[in-house]
Amino acid sequence: MKDERELVAQAQHGSDEAFTALVEAYQTHVYNLCYRMLGEAESAEDAAQETFLRAFQHIQRYDHGRPFGTWLLSIAAHYCIDRLRRRRFSLTSLDDDEAGRVLELPDPAAPSPELETVRREQREQMQGFLQQLNSVDRAAIVLRYWNDCSEAEIAAALNLTVSAVKSRLHRARRELGDLWQEEGSRTNRARRPHESPAF
Amino acid sequence: MNHQPFEDWLLEDESLTIQQQRELHAHLRSCTSCSAIAASNMALHTKHLAIPLPGFTERFQPRLAAWKKDQLRRQAMGTVVLVAAGLALLYAGAGPAMLQAVRSPAAWMSNVAVYVLSVFTMASVAGHVGSVLLRGLSGLIPPGAGWAVAAGGFSLGVLWASMMRRRLRAPQGA
Repeated sequence: MKDERELVAQAQHGSDEAFTALVEAYQTHVYNLCYRMLGEAESAEDAAQETFLRAFQHIQRYDHGRPFGTWLLSIAAHYCIDRLRRRRFSLTSLDDDEAGRVLELPDPAAPSPELETVRREQREQMQGFLQQLNSVDRAAIVLRYWNDCSEAEIAAALNLTVSAVKSRLHRARRELGDLWQEEGSRTNRARRPHESPAF
Repeated sequence: MNHQPFEDWLLEDESLTIQQQRELHAHLRSCTSCSAIAASNMALHTKHLAIPLPGFTERFQPRLAAWKKDQLRRQAMGTVVLVAAGLALLYAGAGPAMLQAVRSPAAWMSNVAVYVLSVFTMASVAGHVGSVLLRGLSGLIPPGAGWAVAAGGFSLGVLWASMMRRRLRAPQGA
């Protein structure tokens, strides 16, 4: 692949080929952010496509002093946040994986199918919890953990201050922990009736 | 050690020293709340990217092409509207004069000549009045005031340029 700067410069001069190469390079990261934000494969595909279209429309505004990936993710995050604000009801996402519409990159570190199943369940659980977070907190968490963005990059992408990002991440982790704990106690309560009586 | 520092470590999610990790693990055995945050943090760290279905770029191409087509259509519509509006304005403004030129060209030409002459006369009168006023005012303005006005104008210009630069640089999202 050509140098990213060169591709961006060519895209700014109107090269569709260069922009297509950029779409190829960033589709997974943009799609993943949209999927984690919106919780649905179909909406994520649409949002990711819309993100690239907006990037194409505004490529002249792109500042070379900033990483192109972060700029794209910023567009995607803002688009998803707007979309979530417009949404009247929340959507569950767990069925998507079962329907096979979402593919996940295989984990090369997974030692056994059992462990992989447990991890998969945890991932699905986490995806469900993410949908319960405030949209900006969710964007901050996804950018931090899935896109490895620094707090400064998240701040730039979401138009927040670094301290606001820290506080949002802090709050989101607490909320996720609470949800995790609730889910754990619910599972325990559900298991209890099937356990042998203690006499 | 009480519960709070462990919870803070987990909520900050920053790297810990070996000793801190040992203390945290010991605390996690007895604290369900911190265990839940730790488990949730661990799940966040097992990064799995959701990937789009194959052919994402191919599906993007028609969308881009449709947008470009729509842009072209809008530009063409805009051009047509502008040209039509220009023609309408031209017709409204110059229509009577054109009619007169067709009916009696001599009268129309004399009108044009009178008009051009009056414009030149007005311009020369305005120039003369301006020079007289300037001469009168130059006696009233103290020496050096011109430099002060120029410096003030220059400072305002610099201030405006820096504000515009900052404003244009701040938001980067599209």
